[in-house]
Amino acid sequence: MAAFAGSTRYILDQELAKIVNISMALEMPLLLKGEPGTGKTMLAHAIAESLGMKLIVLNVKSSMKLVEALYQYDTLTRLNDSRFGDSVRDVSSIREYIRMGKIGQAFVAEKRSVLLIDEIDKADSEFQDDMLDVLDQMQFDIMETDEIVQAVTRPVIIITSNAKKDLSDPFLGRCNFHHIAFPEPDMMRRILAAHFPDIAQTLAVNAIRCFYEFRSIEGVEKKPATRELINWVRALRADPDFSSGELLEREIPYLGVLFKKSSDYRLAAQPPQKRSLFRN
Amino acid sequence: MFISFFYKLREAGVPVSPTSFLTFHRAVHKGLVQSIDDFYVAARTVLVKSERYFDLYDRVFNHIFAGASLPGEADEEFDFWAHSLLDEWLKNPGQTAAALGVDRDRLDDMRLDELLAYFRDRLREQTSRHDGGSKWIGTGGTSPVGHAGIHPGGLRIGGISRNKSAVQVAGERRYRDYSADGPLTSSSMSEALKKLRNMIPQGARDQLNIDATIYQTMKNGGEIEIVYDRRAVDRLKVILAIDNGGWSMEPHVEVVRVLFSYAHAQFRELKTCYFHNTIYDLLWEDPSRCKKPWHLNEIVKVDPDTRLIIVGDASMAPYELMVPDGSIYAYQRSGLPSIERLKHLAKLFRHGVWLNPVPRYRWGHTRTIQMIRAIFPMFELSLQGLEEAVSYLMKK
Repeated sequence: MAAFAGSTRYILDQELAKIVNISMALEMPLLLKGEPGTGKTMLAHAIAESLGMKLIVLNVKSSMKLVEALYQYDTLTRLNDSRFGDSVRDVSSIREYIRMGKIGQAFVAEKRSVLLIDEIDKADSEFQDDMLDVLDQMQFDIMETDEIVQAVTRPVIIITSNAKKDLSDPFLGRCNFHHIAFPEPDMMRRILAAHFPDIAQTLAVNAIRCFYEFRSIEGVEKKPATRELINWVRALRADPDFSSGELLEREIPYLGVLFKKSSDYRLAAQPPQKRSLFRN
Repeated sequence: MFISFFYKLREAGVPVSPTSFLTFHRAVHKGLVQSIDDFYVAARTVLVKSERYFDLYDRVFNHIFAGASLPGEADEEFDFWAHSLLDEWLKNPGQTAAALGVDRDRLDDMRLDELLAYFRDRLREQTSRHDGGSKWIGTGGTSPVGHAGIHPGGLRIGGISRNKSAVQVAGERRYRDYSADGPLTSSSMSEALKKLRNMIPQGARDQLNIDATIYQTMKNGGEIEIVYDRRAVDRLKVILAIDNGGWSMEPHVEVVRVLFSYAHAQFRELKTCYFHNTIYDLLWEDPSRCKKPWHLNEIVKVDPDTRLIIVGDASMAPYELMVPDGSIYAYQRSGLPSIERLKHLAKLFRHGVWLNPVPRYRWGHTRTIQMIRAIFPMFELSLQGLEEAVSYLMKK
């Protein structure tokens, strides 16, 4: 089996590569936790890209029912078809109106695919447990036609969680687990370099230094993450005054790109010596 | 294979299930584990299901594969006493040296860390010979630096390609900050807030939502689909009583206060009040405890469904709790011992908890903690403890 070793836009540490490969070999879902902006979702994209698999994304929503992720029985179209009678579909066959949901698509795909179940923690725990049953059995029933959909190939399953809620024990029992820590400055430099191959060295160094200083401010509700940093650097590069990065020593512009809550913005805009007074 | 590793993990408190252990063996048999680094990563991925246990896992791994000592309760205990000894030493070097039976000049030459190591060793000897409490250990007990585990490396996470062995990596204890134990700090605030979010009661799903029912029925092509909503339930009323007297509580007061005021919106009512050490007949609404008293006789009038959360280290002289007029303030003379007041409060509020910033393993050493624990269910002021406390408070 092809092993996963990173892709062009995604900087991977070896530990994570091992974890992905182990989960793929064991054919178990991999549950990824970590702060926003640590690249949980990007990982699935990178796996799909590097192994040449199709990526199927299931964005979990709080009101979602499991059935929606498996299949949908499109009753409305069927009703319309039966009233107007101008469609090519056979109205008497329910099967014509069954559409596969994201999990269903991953099951019926002929080649092995990557199934990303994004932000599982948004759904309630019944959803999570039921879904794991399905993923465990690799099959589900279509109630309307009493058919069983069996997975052709086991997809590579990546599940992400922002840890708003704790996941249930049975759920955790069936997954492999990894927590992606926030990248260190060194790693961040490589991430920046991957996004901006021609970035000025001074700009990268100064921007990262400021960024980690901002992250260490106490009492900030929403810390800036990788995404904010990349956007911020994009803004800095667009400004001729700052694109070389030297001016960052004296002045820090575009704070609003990094801090999106007004209270955080105010905190960050305070002069630094005031802040450091209470820092541990 | 690796059975002892499995049991060591369980012993240390990492919830490892036998199923996942078997899964791990499957990985080994598939040839996925070729080196000790692979072992470190594979075992953690398969066995450990929460980042809260990563630190513990690192420690156990280090213990099994590199022979590092597993700092158990006993060790932390030693560190605690060693620190108190150090305090004593700083206050009164001559006496301490005499009590230890060593030359003062010798101790004078040592650096702080050497001194600490020396005390720790002395304490180890001492316990093995005297079987516990020897007379010079007994006093002290006031060290603000009680918690041990000085970790020189600090938190190191992320990292690119690592050329270090897994043992070194595990030795770094990169996940220390994610441990569930350890007192609540402002950096674990957001995680703590999420725990508090469970303090919103949910009603039964038994209210018919007519609009949604019609919509879903139409969407279903006329097949009736009934939609229920959760019944609206009142949000909780919370009384938060904080012990803000004395320096032992100092680091925790602000964290707790800010934590609950952030969560304010989810409560119907949040009343914060203060006391020192224990509660007599007054609670104070102002932190300085002099302007706005709140008499216990008035608290009786509060809705008994209110959640009472008391935060304090519950550590004081026993007489403060047991003796009528035990208060250390001369003007607080109530005629009833504080312990009766606490019992009264516990009876008044069906849902009351005591959150204690003192780590759980040290509770056994303080008499008053044990006494108060018998009255209020006590939880550690840590992420773990907070979670347990919230689930206790939400019990019907």
